[in-house]
Amino acid sequence: MPSPTPVLAVENITKTYGIRTILDGVSLSINRGEIKVLIGPSGAGKSTLLQSINFLIQPDSGTVALEGQTINPHDKKALCAYRQQVGMIFQDFNLFDHLTALGNVEIGLIRVKHMIKNEARDRAVTELERVGLKQHTAHYPAQLSGGQKQRVSIARALAMEPKVMLLDEPTSALDPELIGEVHSVISKLGEAGMTMMLATHQIGFARHLAHEMIFMENGRIVEQGPPDVILDGAARQRTREFCSRISGAGEKR
Amino acid sequence: MSQGMTAIQEGFWYLLEGAWVNLIVVVGALIFGFLLGLPLALGQVYGGKILRRVFAVYVWFFRGIPLLVFLFLFYFGLVAWLDINLSAFTVAVIVLGLISAAYQSQTLRGALLSIPEGQMKAARALGMSDFQAIFRVILPQSIRLSIPGWSNEYAILLKDSAVTYALGVSELMSRTNHVASRTYQHLYLYITAGILFMILTYAGTRLMGMLQKRLTVPGYTR
Amino acid sequence: MTELVYIGEEVLPALLRGLWISLILILPSSVLGFAAGVLVGALRVYGAAGFRWLANAYVLIFRGFPLIIQLYIWYFGLPRIGIYMSPYGASVMGFVLCSAAYHSEYIRGALLSIRHGQMLAAQSIGLNRLQTVLYVIMPQAFRRALPGCGNEIIYLIKYSSLAYMVTCIELTGEGKILASASFKYIEVFMIIGAIYLGMVSIATWLLSMLENHLTIPGFERYRT
Ligand SMILES: Nc1ncnc2c1ncn2[C@@H]1O[C@H](COP(=O)(O)OP(=O)(O)OP(=O)(O)O)[C@@H](O)[C@H]1O
Ligand SMILES: [Mg+2]
Repeated sequence: MPSPTPVLAVENITKTYGIRTILDGVSLSINRGEIKVLIGPSGAGKSTLLQSINFLIQPDSGTVALEGQTINPHDKKALCAYRQQVGMIFQDFNLFDHLTALGNVEIGLIRVKHMIKNEARDRAVTELERVGLKQHTAHYPAQLSGGQKQRVSIARALAMEPKVMLLDEPTSALDPELIGEVHSVISKLGEAGMTMMLATHQIGFARHLAHEMIFMENGRIVEQGPPDVILDGAARQRTREFCSRISGAGEKR
Repeated sequence: MSQGMTAIQEGFWYLLEGAWVNLIVVVGALIFGFLLGLPLALGQVYGGKILRRVFAVYVWFFRGIPLLVFLFLFYFGLVAWLDINLSAFTVAVIVLGLISAAYQSQTLRGALLSIPEGQMKAARALGMSDFQAIFRVILPQSIRLSIPGWSNEYAILLKDSAVTYALGVSELMSRTNHVASRTYQHLYLYITAGILFMILTYAGTRLMGMLQKRLTVPGYTR
Repeated sequence: MTELVYIGEEVLPALLRGLWISLILILPSSVLGFAAGVLVGALRVYGAAGFRWLANAYVLIFRGFPLIIQLYIWYFGLPRIGIYMSPYGASVMGFVLCSAAYHSEYIRGALLSIRHGQMLAAQSIGLNRLQTVLYVIMPQAFRRALPGCGNEIIYLIKYSSLAYMVTCIELTGEGKILASASFKYIEVFMIIGAIYLGMVSIATWLLSMLENHLTIPGFERYRT
C-alpha cells in the first residue's frame, strides 16, 4: 500500500551553535490528522527542532517539505506563505503586547491574508469563541491570565487555517490550575482532526493525546512509537529512565 | 588645514583656561542647585499643600523658560533694576543654579518617593523624629539613588554653560569666538571647542561613576 | 497714552513676528528631528555593522557638542569651506541634527526593550520583515519612547532661542532688540518668558494627551 504524502516531512536537519551540535540529523514526518509528541530531557533540542521546522531558527542543513513541496528558506515570499500554513505556539505565548486579544487574531488575517476589516473581525471573534474567550476579545495581553493568553495565541494560529500546528511546551509557563483549560483546547483540536506536533513534559497529557511519541536526546531522535510502548516498554534503558522519572514527578492524569 | 592647526596651537592655552571657567561655572551651579533643590524636593514630598503648590510653580517656571531669556532677564534686567554690582560670571552661576535646582529637585523627589514606606516606619518605630528619619534614613538612601541624575545634570549644565557667552563670560565658547575672529579659522576652532566639551563631559561623568561605586552599598545596584 | 501707542505699534507686532519665526523654527525641526531620530535609532539597532558604527559616532558627537557650538559650526564655520546657509536654514539644520541624536537614544532603548519573541511570533504567522517592523515593533517602540521623545521636544522649544545667536531673529531676538531700544529689560523679558512658558505648557499638555490616548494596559510603566 503506497503511503500518502505526509503533510510535513523533515529530512536530516542539523544545527550547531559554535562547536556544540544541538540537532544532529533529525528526520521525521507527520501525516494528515496525526499527532506526534516530542519528549526528552531539557536541552535535548526540542524547541530548536520545532523552530527550525518553521525556519524561525535557520538550520545548517536539511530540508523541510510541506505536502511534498520542499521549502526554500531564502525565497522570502515562499517562506511567508509557508509559515502561514504552519501554526506555531510558543511556551511564553508571545502575544503582541500592543494589541487586544481580537487584534492579535486579526492582524494575520488583515496583513497576511489581506481580508477586509469586517470579515477579519468576524473570523477572529469566531476563533476566540472556539477557545472560550468570547468575553475577552477587547482585553490586552496584560489583562489576561497565562491560560487565557495561550488560548489567544492558539486562536491566532488557528485563524490562519494552518495545515499543521507546532506547539512548544504550551503549558510549561502556566500555573498548575491554568494548565487544564489549555489542554482541553488542544484535545478538542486533536479530536477535530488537526495535525499537530507537540513538545511537552506533561507525560500524562501526552499519553492521552499522542498517536506517536518521539523521544529525543542530545539532538537526536532516540526512539519513537505508540505512547504505551514508549512509556511502558521502551526498548532503551535511557528512555525508560526518563519516562519513569518524569511520570513519577507527581503529575495528575 | 595647516592654518587651522596653527590657530589652534596658538590659542590652545587661552582656550583651555576658558574650559576651566566653564568647569567652575558648572560646579558652582551644581552646588547652588543642590542646596536649593534639596529643600524644594523635601517640600514637594513632605510639605503641606500650599508649600507643594508653591514649589511646583517654581519648578514649572524654571523648566519652562529658555536659559538665554533668563540670562538676559537677570543680567540686563534685574541687576540693573536692583542696582547691584554683579559680574556676568556670578549671574551665570546664579541663573544656571536656579534652573538646575528645578531639575535636581525632580530627580531628588523621584529618589525620595522610591524609598519604600517601611523605611520611614522602621525609623519611627526606633523612636526617631520625622526630621531625624528623613535626614538619617531616607536621605542617605535617596542621595545614592540620585547620582546618575547628577551625572546627567552635569553634562547638561556643561553644554548650557557655553550659552553664558551671550553675557560675555570669558569661557571657552567666547574665547573660541575671539580666536576665530582673529585667525579666521572658525570651523577648526569650533570643532576643537566641541571636542574639549566632550572631553570635559566624559571626565566628569566618569568621576561621578567612580563616586557612585565608592558610595555603593549592597542592594543599591541600579 | 504714548505708552499704549508704543505697545500697540512697536511691541505687539515685534512679538508676533518673533513668535511666528519661533514657531516655524520649532515645528519643522521637531517633526524632522523625530523622523531622523527614528531612522538613526533603527540603524543603531538593526543596521549593518558599518551603518551602526556610523550612527553611533554621529550620536556621540551631536550629543557631546553643545548645541550653540553646532549652530556656530553651521552658520559661521561652513562658510570657511565655501558652504553658505541662511540663519534660518542653519538653525533648522542645527536643531534637526542635534535633536535627532537625542531622539535616537530613546528610540534605540525602546527597540532594544522589545522581546525577541514578538518578532518570532510575527514571523510565525507569515508577516514579512517590513510588516513586522511596521505593525508589531514600531507601535510598541513608539509607546515606550514617547515620554523621552516628548521631553526632547520640550527642550527643543526652549533651545530654539539659541537661533538668535546665529542672527535668526525669533522671539528672543525680537525681545533683545525691543529691550535694548527701550531699556525695559525686565518687562520685555518677563513677557517673552511668559510666551515660552505658554508654549512649553501647551506642548506638555498636548504630549500628555497623546500619551493618554496611546496608553494601553501593559505599557503604563513607561510613562513618566
Ligand atoms: N542561541 C543559542 N546559542 C547557543 N546555544 C543554544 C541557543 N539556543 C539553544 N541553545 C542550546 O541548545 C540546546 C537545546 O535547546 P532547546 O531549547 O532546543 O532544548 P529543549 O529540548 O527545548 O529543552 P527544554 O525542555 O528545556 O525546553 C540547549 O543546550 C541550549 O543551551
Ligand atoms: Mg524548549
